[in-house]
Amino acid sequence: MTPFDPRLLTTAPRARRPVAWLAAVGVLTGAAAVATAFPLAALVVALVEGSSLRTPALWLAGLLGLRAGLGWVAERVAAWAGVEVTAALRTVLLAHWLAAPAEQRPDPDRGATLAAQGVAAVEPYAARFLPALVSGAVVPVLAVGALVVVDPVSALVVVLTLPLLPAFAALIGAATRDETERRWQALSSLAGHFVDVMRGLPTLVGYGRAERQVEVVREVSARHRRATMRTLRLAFMSSAALELLASISVAIVAVTVGLRLTHGTVGLEPGLLAILLAPEAYWPIRRVGAEFHAAADGAQAVADVLAEVAPAPAPPVDLPAPTSPASHGAAGTAGVLLRGVTYTYPGASTPVLRGVDLVAGQGLTVLTGPSGAGKSTVLELAAGLRTPTSGRVAAGPAHLVSQRPFLPAGTVRDALRLGNDAEDPALWHALRRVGLDGVVARLPGALAAPIGDDGTGLSAGQRSRLALARALLSSDPVLLVDEPTAHLDDEARALVHALLVELAARRTVLAVTHDPDLADLADGHAVLGGDLEEARR
Amino acid sequence: MTATEWRPGLRPTPAILLGGLLGGAATSAGIALTATSGWLVVRASERPVILTLLAAIVAVRAFGMVRPFFRYLERLVSHDAALADLADQRASVYAALVPLTPARLGRRSRSRVLTGVVDDLTDVVEAQVRVTVPVLSSAIAAVVATALAAWFAPAVGLVLAGLVAVVALDCALAWRVESGSQDALLAARAEVARLADLVARQAGELRALGAGAAALGRLDTAHGTVRRAVRRQSHGRATVAALLPIGTAAATVAAAWLVDPAEVGAPVAALLVLLPVAVGDALAPLVDAMRALARAQGSGRRVTSLLDQEPAVHDPARPSAAPALPGAGVRLEQATAAWTGGEDALRATDLHVTPGRHVAVVGPNGSGKSTLLAVLARALDVRTGRHTVDGTDVRARALADVRRDIAVVDDEPHVFATTVAENLRLARPGCDDDALRRALTLAGLHAWADALPDGLDTRLGTGGRGLSGGERTRLGVARAVLADRRLVLLDEPTAHLDHATATAVLDDVLDAVRDRSVVLLSHRPENLDRMAAVLDLGDAPSPPPKE
Repeated sequence: MTPFDPRLLTTAPRARRPVAWLAAVGVLTGAAAVATAFPLAALVVALVEGSSLRTPALWLAGLLGLRAGLGWVAERVAAWAGVEVTAALRTVLLAHWLAAPAEQRPDPDRGATLAAQGVAAVEPYAARFLPALVSGAVVPVLAVGALVVVDPVSALVVVLTLPLLPAFAALIGAATRDETERRWQALSSLAGHFVDVMRGLPTLVGYGRAERQVEVVREVSARHRRATMRTLRLAFMSSAALELLASISVAIVAVTVGLRLTHGTVGLEPGLLAILLAPEAYWPIRRVGAEFHAAADGAQAVADVLAEVAPAPAPPVDLPAPTSPASHGAAGTAGVLLRGVTYTYPGASTPVLRGVDLVAGQGLTVLTGPSGAGKSTVLELAAGLRTPTSGRVAAGPAHLVSQRPFLPAGTVRDALRLGNDAEDPALWHALRRVGLDGVVARLPGALAAPIGDDGTGLSAGQRSRLALARALLSSDPVLLVDEPTAHLDDEARALVHALLVELAARRTVLAVTHDPDLADLADGHAVLGGDLEEARR
Repeated sequence: MTATEWRPGLRPTPAILLGGLLGGAATSAGIALTATSGWLVVRASERPVILTLLAAIVAVRAFGMVRPFFRYLERLVSHDAALADLADQRASVYAALVPLTPARLGRRSRSRVLTGVVDDLTDVVEAQVRVTVPVLSSAIAAVVATALAAWFAPAVGLVLAGLVAVVALDCALAWRVESGSQDALLAARAEVARLADLVARQAGELRALGAGAAALGRLDTAHGTVRRAVRRQSHGRATVAALLPIGTAAATVAAAWLVDPAEVGAPVAALLVLLPVAVGDALAPLVDAMRALARAQGSGRRVTSLLDQEPAVHDPARPSAAPALPGAGVRLEQATAAWTGGEDALRATDLHVTPGRHVAVVGPNGSGKSTLLAVLARALDVRTGRHTVDGTDVRARALADVRRDIAVVDDEPHVFATTVAENLRLARPGCDDDALRRALTLAGLHAWADALPDGLDTRLGTGGRGLSGGERTRLGVARAVLADRRLVLLDEPTAHLDHATATAVLDDVLDAVRDRSVVLLSHRPENLDRMAAVLDLGDAPSPPPKE
């Protein structure tokens, strides 16, 4: 994990402009902060010497006014950059997963956590930490530069003590690393306990075990408090040590300036400037440390996303046969072809498919076989969602209706228009063909009727017919359907059978089914053997 | 139990007050460091005898050193106090949630509601550290600095008081900005998170439909909403950020004009001119405190509105002891029920289950299936009609007594981050390992249990071994079998499983609870032939589904 990975800008080009603005505004703000010391010192000198206050006062007001303007711009730029960098990163990540076969995606829980909560942590990282990083790099340099011109002795003091800050921080970090890591495990399991018993509250209530958890919650939270305080004490101590170092350094500057003033080896104005500029060299560095602590999640998420979308390593050379995911959607292909296809699930030891051959051209082909034989996997391979471990798959652009068809939370219209941009009359036509027009017309709002996640509000049979209606609206020449009649009554089954036969007159339809009546209607029939393994989830 | 112990306010505890005092000392030392440095330098430029400077030199060093020291103490004291408070609040909120569970936690995604409570609670308690302590510290430092200035030159004291008033106004503005924008932003960000979660989980399905581009388009739209909300908020934040330097500039120039070096002496004059900048810098973090305040108030309101509900079931003060007709089973007669005061979610329904009799309940969503289940589980009272167990009205009996005979298996049983044995034993405390193994076997987890690396001591849940959907459902069934409950309610236990797995799991489940009273909620036609009766709630026209 690095504070800033430049690959962010090449991976998500949309992040470039906001980051450039952040840097520019950061440099200007730093320069204005350093510059303010000059009229402030001049004002004090003018006051002490009894000369006119007008010029320094005007300069001071002007510079502070400039800082106000820059502060205004900086706030807007930071907010803008936070949103843009986050959106760019999330879009790149999800576009990558949408294009990748199943084997190259992380497991759904990890993926969803990274895309939703993980990337969300990038917003404070970009909006708060990156500006702090810019001022941490710019302001000390400007302050020391100004000091060199104004009072070289003070500049020397600062240059000698400044490197102590990072060195000291590294030293503390190294000395406490083992201790911190040792505690981390215990701490995170204590912190997770409350979330765990909260999420399990309905279960605990169901078995009458909730009341006694109250005391456990109190007790574990108390342990969590003690463990957290041990860790925090260390963290606070090291940050206090750094602050002490910076404070003492500033005090040394002030005292040496004072002594030299009494000897007359330095003037009042340079002396004042030195004590005003010296702190500017230290606090931005401490702020980077403090903000990085808060932005660590965001930096980690940036690293995770970059690792996820980085070009995949070249495939191992000892693959038995060339795989050809590239032939998906190839021009001229309108059928499905599998040649000697073997497929092993990531992490599994035995293949689910072994040397499978299958040809499906225009017309209706049914694929049957015992549960767990890998029928659904064949469809996913044909749809290009998986890459064969060995063998060759070729298929035209395909629309897959899976066993649990995906219906987003939204309206019936939203669900139907996934993957096409058909207008309402076409939607009604498709609904009529699957025999759902009456059902939808009776829903409050008809096409605008809301359905829940996974199509809740509809029965399983209605959901699968809605998915078939969506398949009708697709223009893909290959239609892959998984158990299209599993949830249907006899009447609806007959309707779907007729529909598939009709579609097969113009398209390649490959259907996985247990339904003997559908198999009777088919132009082709493929049987998948295979062991009766535990059915995959 | 009521929510009286829940305190969402920012009323400081004595330890937090101490933290504020220590923070005030640290902030004052910071201001004093700048001021005394200025005094020292100007006094030195008058070339006095070095001895007369010693006190100032010592003071500069001392202020430099006590500031980190006080800051360290303040952070220790206030964090410790906040964590102690967190422990108390967690326990009391947990206790307050127990009687509201499950019916008052929303109809769906209860675990999301509960995770939200955890986060909200943390926000509220953290406000002690992020709001109360900084506000106290700044107030103390502001008073000290103003008093100091007023003692030397009353006019400059007034100027500083004015600066403090500007900062206070700025804070009020910041609070308004944050309070006014956070709801829209939260909603916009939640929508982005929901879509991102959906696309990440369903990437394959979306691709299978050729809907990848459409999904990214919707994500873009959601990002656009966040962008607009952030832009509106940043407009306010930018104004807040710009106000502080303007106030500081005005105060500094005014102080320089009002101070008379001839009267107070040049060194003190320098000190007084430098004070506004030092005070402005010291009070700047208050703006961040207002962000935390607005967030904590929003979180506090959410938790309060959740806890501020009446339990959905009546627990009699003087319950009747014995059931009238042991073995008569569970009976609903013309029972209706509603989640809130509004329309009935369950229309007049009759149902009778006895040991060994399995009844399926089917019907589309909105027909009252989950409401019926909540009534049977004693999570929800009937509104009209009768609900009897063994011939006695359930409302006459102690809630815990009635629930002791009921087990619910839903489609997402919670797996605790502990061992397999402890995950099961919560259903029947103190039972031996043989009983656990028998329950696992009945639930069809025999082979799974044998393959566990550490047997029944294998850890599950977060940081432990993962479970497939089918395994989780079976674990829930094993709990129900172990608990030996007479009424088993199966709430679409196989809803998230594919066809083949669902059939296999349900077969085993129905075998395992063969001799119990069973009510099965289902969307699916599988296994319904095994049921003694099927109650279709979708027969009559149903009220529209409500969330």
